[in-house]
Amino acid sequence: MFFYYLDLAWRSIKKTPFLSLLMVLAISIGIGITITTLNVYKMASINPAGERSSQLFALRLMSQDNDTWERLTPQITYQDAYNLRKSTIPVRQTAMFRTGLAVQTEDPNFSPILEGVRVIDSDFFGLFEVPFVYGGPWDKQVDSEGGYKVVISEEINQKAFGGVNSVGKSILLNRKPYQVVGVTAQWNPSPKYYDVNNGAFNDSEQIFVPFSLAPIEEYESWGNNNSWRHEDIRTYSDKLASEMHWNQYWVELDTPAKQQEYQEWLSRYVEQQQRLGRFKHPEAHGDISDVDKWLKEHNVVPEDNKVLVGLSVLFLVVCLVNMLGLLLAKFLKRAPEVGVRRAIGASRLQIFSQHIVEVGVIGFCGGALGLLWAWGALYVLSSKFDLEQSLAQLDQSMWLIAPMIAVSAAIIAGLYPAWRICSTNPSIYLKSQ
Amino acid sequence: MLQIRPIISMLMRSKSGPILLLVQIILSVAIVANASFIITERVSLMSRESGIAESEVFDLDIYNFDDGMDPVSQTKRDIEIIRNLEGVKAATVSSMTPLSGGGWASNFSYGTSKEDRVDAANAPLYYGDEQMIATLGLKLIEGRNFYPDEVLTGGSELASLLIVSKAYAQETFGDESPIGKVMYRGEIGNQPMKIIGVVERLQGAWVDNNNLERGMIINVELAAAFNRILVRADEEAIVGLKEAIPAALHKENPNRVVRGFTTISEHRNIVYRDHELMATVLSMMVVLLLLITSLGLAGMVMFNIERRTKQIGTRRALGAKKRDIVSFFLVENYLICITGGVIGGLIAVQLGQQLMALYSLPKLELFYPIATVAGLLVLTTFAVIFPAQKAAKISPATATRSV
Amino acid sequence: MLSMKNISKVFKTDLVETHALRDFNLAVNEGEFVAVTGPSGSGKTTFLNIAGLLEGFNHGDYFLDGVNISNLSDNKSAAIRNEKIGFIFQGFNLISDLNLAENVEVPLRYRGFNAKERKVRVERALEQVGLAARMKHLPTQLSGGQQQRVAIARALAGEPRFLLADEPTGNLDSLMARQVMELLEDINKAGTTIIMVTHDADLARRAQRNIQIVDGQVCDFSMYQAGENRGKTQSIADAASVA
Repeated sequence: MFFYYLDLAWRSIKKTPFLSLLMVLAISIGIGITITTLNVYKMASINPAGERSSQLFALRLMSQDNDTWERLTPQITYQDAYNLRKSTIPVRQTAMFRTGLAVQTEDPNFSPILEGVRVIDSDFFGLFEVPFVYGGPWDKQVDSEGGYKVVISEEINQKAFGGVNSVGKSILLNRKPYQVVGVTAQWNPSPKYYDVNNGAFNDSEQIFVPFSLAPIEEYESWGNNNSWRHEDIRTYSDKLASEMHWNQYWVELDTPAKQQEYQEWLSRYVEQQQRLGRFKHPEAHGDISDVDKWLKEHNVVPEDNKVLVGLSVLFLVVCLVNMLGLLLAKFLKRAPEVGVRRAIGASRLQIFSQHIVEVGVIGFCGGALGLLWAWGALYVLSSKFDLEQSLAQLDQSMWLIAPMIAVSAAIIAGLYPAWRICSTNPSIYLKSQ
Repeated sequence: MLQIRPIISMLMRSKSGPILLLVQIILSVAIVANASFIITERVSLMSRESGIAESEVFDLDIYNFDDGMDPVSQTKRDIEIIRNLEGVKAATVSSMTPLSGGGWASNFSYGTSKEDRVDAANAPLYYGDEQMIATLGLKLIEGRNFYPDEVLTGGSELASLLIVSKAYAQETFGDESPIGKVMYRGEIGNQPMKIIGVVERLQGAWVDNNNLERGMIINVELAAAFNRILVRADEEAIVGLKEAIPAALHKENPNRVVRGFTTISEHRNIVYRDHELMATVLSMMVVLLLLITSLGLAGMVMFNIERRTKQIGTRRALGAKKRDIVSFFLVENYLICITGGVIGGLIAVQLGQQLMALYSLPKLELFYPIATVAGLLVLTTFAVIFPAQKAAKISPATATRSV
Repeated sequence: MLSMKNISKVFKTDLVETHALRDFNLAVNEGEFVAVTGPSGSGKTTFLNIAGLLEGFNHGDYFLDGVNISNLSDNKSAAIRNEKIGFIFQGFNLISDLNLAENVEVPLRYRGFNAKERKVRVERALEQVGLAARMKHLPTQLSGGQQQRVAIARALAGEPRFLLADEPTGNLDSLMARQVMELLEDINKAGTTIIMVTHDADLARRAQRNIQIVDGQVCDFSMYQAGENRGKTQSIADAASVA
């Protein structure tokens, strides 16, 4: 019967091409806009940590004085980062910040490039599951003792070494030689959840150097340096000893028990620091947030996006109401034919199904066309506004979501007209006048 | 002549059609009013003047990674090299680029003692030399510029003089002249800085921050490994300078990276990108929504006419003029539009309030729903008038034919 | 075959109650050809709609082929219409988008026959009305008489026991009307019970049995007897003239 209904639907659509086009257009534009905004929203709100989301925690400390900042900030001081590294509870942990260094090779013809560099501990790679092409992280020993080791990305490896296995070779960062220990494969989580300071959707750093080198090499911070009090900071060691918040800190805690244990450890740390005269805020405490909570708290999805999704859903509703009206008109005009079918032995359910199938076909066409609109809109918007690549590409799931929303929305719009037509008394349409 | 009562009673009888139109118009008004409100709000944000000759100014970064480099003398040499290049009108080292979304900002206080200390509002800071005003193309309206020998090269702790924007001066001191006032960092007495000039307008780097208009210039030529430089040149000369500046700097010392060369106009496009995107998407939505609403309306009217062919014929037979038929449909449309508009307007205000509460949007002004309803009236007139005219052509004889 | 006892049907609006049928009694036997006449508004069409299960009724009992119709679900009554009843209308009521074969196929679709079965039945039905050659034509390409013959083919395709005809010749000229009437008589002879509503007294006379509805009641029982006799002689005469 379904194919019979499909056939009838197709005939009906062909019979009123203008009206059908109008309906397909209406629903496709509604779907197009909804999918466009939904896509941007979805890509922005994706949780890149996946299954590990609930095991990875961003750490924050309320180390400020009373009457300064009222809230936790996403970063901590260097001295706290340094102290926290001593805990043995986390499975993995890393302190980090972003800097920039001039990259050269031993080849004098290689013109220097300035690259964003992430200063990290070796656990970073395991914690965030960074894939390697060659080699791996540096030894844990380097994290405590220091050492001129570096991990570079495939891209840098291509630029500097022509793509060959460069493990063991050396690369110049600010004219200092660093030994390459690993080359990472393409890795660019979006949103860039591990550091929301520098824009959540920009690219990952391509070079990674040990955090233990920071006091020696005096890496500048390429991110926010926030102070809650005025401090006279003239040298790098002033900065390291200051109350300035400029480091990020992540821990991996795989079980609730560990999380509990670490929380307690943190409380003791805060108490200890209070005895030393720091952490004077009455609400001074340490906080760990898993990736989900972290993304939400930092409003990685811009509010504009939410407004747009809301408005576009309303827009879709308008399109559906529009379609509902047109369907009602169209179906009621067909009442005589339905009367005949009813007389001939079609049950209400059969008439209802016939019309719902027709509406579904219109919805499906609308969904397909809408997907096309969405693709076009994203293309135009991303080329005009230079959107981040990760936001502008049509998510694969949309190929399924768009027709599903379209068909179900159309069917919802079609329910009332189909019910009206199947419940009208057929006999009144059978007399010829 | 305009029989409103019979139209109303007819609308009441054939419920579903008009109700659907009504719902559609209500929703359209609610959406369009809020969307166009957000659009105008964003457009007015984008049209704020920065006070800067945006298309003639560009920035560049010099990163010196030579170990033995002396930042102070290197910086002085670099700025000399750039100023001597052909086409460069003015140049200065700067702590930040206007409208770039990143840079320096701070709070100052003033007063005579700890007790009467007043904290002034947060302000974006431009550390730079006596050419800052000429480079950005600012208009000095009170006091004076720095003298060249007042500008010190080194770290931010050398600061002693300020040129503030009028907005900052007014917010801090009201109508009182700011010239000669002394500002401190944090505690009173801490690093005093005297205000010597006022510029008419100077925006900072963060367009969504309320400190935007409070820009100020500080008499320090920052010298570090990483320096930002602002250059003013004729628009036509900028392309050539993109090549000439790195070449000249590398000639002097190859151990550095020179990059950037983004004009303030380009920064403006980038920094307002999200707003422009929002405005564009919403405009698209408004246009499409109105299109769909009017197409839907036209479709409905056409069907109504087909359904009422006989009735229209009867009316014609009873002496209705063509004009009467058209006005019948128009009045019907206006009734639905105005009812829908009033309800839609109320919902729009409500929706606006929800949005305001949820997403910190400003309050919807009544103008927008009213304008939307007016626009819909005009648009639907067109949507109705064509099918209605077709209806008016129906022959009175239709009424007498039975099949 | 068909038995209605004390059927009444009331149409209510806010202002008036109209009794379309009251205490309506009728029995039709298998194989009969019954003509129903009556003035406009007498309840003929209401009777036909109730008989054809297109409308419900307020009081009384209605048995069709031994099945109590009073409280049937929509599904059941649709199935009965589909299997046991064929409809023929004054306005033909062919579906204009479908060609002849597809029109005739409609009831077979709803009955759930497979494609092969449908094809056989459609061909047989169209042959029966003499339009097998025009299978692919659209209804609008045919004359009124041809259209009505297609409608009859459609009614026959499901092999119903019972044919309801509402002014089947009302829109046709006299020649075509006669052809259609003859077709109906042939069908009746093959065993199908027919109830035909008509204005036309001449046509009514050709039926085996005549009943008249006035003010929602079967009014004239005397005519029942006379009509039966007259109908018989008439059809014999007709058969002779055709031969």
